Amino acid sequence: MLEVRDLSVSYGKKEILTNVSFTLEKGTVTALLGANGCGKTTLIKALCGLLPCEGSRRLDGCDLRELSTKETAQQIGYIPQRSGISLSLTALDVVLMGFSPRLGLLQQPTGAMEAQARQTLAQLGLGADTAYLTLSEGQKQLCILARTLVMDAKVLLLDEPESALDLQNRYGLFEHLRGRLQDRAVLAVLHDPQLALQTADKLILLKDGTVHAVLHPKTDSPETMEQAFCGIYGRVRLHKIEDTIVMVR
Amino acid sequence: MKLKSSIYITAMALAVMAVVSLFVGKYPLTLPGLLAGHEMQLKVFFRLRLSRTVLGVLGGVCLGVAGFVYQTVFRNPLASPDIIGVASGASAGAAAGILFLSGAAAVTAASFAGALLAVILALSLAALDKTGKSGTIVLSGIAVHALAQTLLMGLKLTADPEKELASIEYWIMGSLNGVAVERIFPNALLCLVCLAVLFLLHRQIVLLSVGEEEAQMLGVSVTALRLAVLLTATLMVAAVVSLTGLISFVGLLAPHGARLLTKRDHRGTMALSGLLGGVLLCFADILARSVAATELPVSIFTSLIGAPFLVWLIVRRETRA
Repeated sequence: MLEVRDLSVSYGKKEILTNVSFTLEKGTVTALLGANGCGKTTLIKALCGLLPCEGSRRLDGCDLRELSTKETAQQIGYIPQRSGISLSLTALDVVLMGFSPRLGLLQQPTGAMEAQARQTLAQLGLGADTAYLTLSEGQKQLCILARTLVMDAKVLLLDEPESALDLQNRYGLFEHLRGRLQDRAVLAVLHDPQLALQTADKLILLKDGTVHAVLHPKTDSPETMEQAFCGIYGRVRLHKIEDTIVMVR
Repeated sequence: MKLKSSIYITAMALAVMAVVSLFVGKYPLTLPGLLAGHEMQLKVFFRLRLSRTVLGVLGGVCLGVAGFVYQTVFRNPLASPDIIGVASGASAGAAAGILFLSGAAAVTAASFAGALLAVILALSLAALDKTGKSGTIVLSGIAVHALAQTLLMGLKLTADPEKELASIEYWIMGSLNGVAVERIFPNALLCLVCLAVLFLLHRQIVLLSVGEEEAQMLGVSVTALRLAVLLTATLMVAAVVSLTGLISFVGLLAPHGARLLTKRDHRGTMALSGLLGGVLLCFADILARSVAATELPVSIFTSLIGAPFLVWLIVRRETRA
């Protein structure tokens, strides 16, 4: 679905990403893992077209560079590490922003859109009329997730979408995503390898701006994955307990 | 307070201010006199008071809405229409008009041209930064403000201290006095068009407030839209200050007042900000022509009301933090 080939990004003379290549398949969740500063956020931003980059990004065969800002937003839903919302808006106002790529410059969200936004918020356990700024950081993340879900984009690029969520909501977030995958692909930056192992179909391990390994938790052996993780996190062990792989350090 | 009730109450307050403004001044006007067709009273009413009241209401509304737009787009509660140098440009233009042209209409035109030039210069300088960050616009505005102030000082140095210098200083202090209806009309038309555009673009203005990258990923062409919104808001401010001279604090205070009342950033809050701006400017203008034997500059009163409010706002924020 999303095909990335030889993607390189530099900040001035400093190269952050070097020839990164991978694909995201339809109906799958891919986790992007790596140590701090290895280029995960840079990769997400480059995929969104927020940073100038070399190499190709093709979505269903279409070169993403040829899309306008609006067309890109229709295809790619993005959750930043932290939203910049500083106005006194309700959760509903925030989620309605998600329909923006489908609206004309002077158009307003329709009643059906509002109903969908309210329903999505309710599914995530949030009140539509709650003031966004009074929500906890975790609830804010869920609200931004609701905004991204209503965008109905083909690819969701999520930069640490669960960093402020409790254990239940962390796993709940991926259940919500799975329930809405259908024709979509999800790439999520995660810091918790255990969460990635349990929720993602594929893991991309980034190290020093290059792809260190691509893992498939359902098919790869624990030994293969352990070796790859050791290259990122130092000495770690993977144990298989029933059907679940558990990482210990 | 609920948004609708706030808007109704403020609209009523503005209507009351407008009526009071029509009847306050050196020459006493009475309703029976006007209805009886008293010639002098009608002359004063149509040539002086009506234009002044229209200017107070429209100017205040425009400054209030523009302040709301600037604070939202720049994500800065202290942003005001002068952030990209519009007031300094208008002052320098007015000073040049007073020195080199004749007639009030020419000064208005020169002031408008000065404001427009300053804004175009600030936005052009900002466009040199290809990243399109809003901070660059602020920095360009500061540079243009400094440049316009230098020009203004140069013009003041060449001005006759007895005549022209006093006129320049009085213009800078702001006044709604002596603006004829025919001078208001083209500017009022421009203001109304700009107001309509800004209200139509309200949803986009809110999207600009979430930050550049996030807004772009919500489908907003950030640089183009921000340019269009700022240019519209600034044109509106230029149309007002070219007639009134500089009006302090209205654009800064009205949006804060509206947010305090509604606790929400909504299209209605933008309207409320405009209404509060109108109330503030009309009230300051009524004081300007009624507290002393001679008329005082209106900015004295907007500042007298505005400065303590600003301090209270900061203290309140610190206490909450």
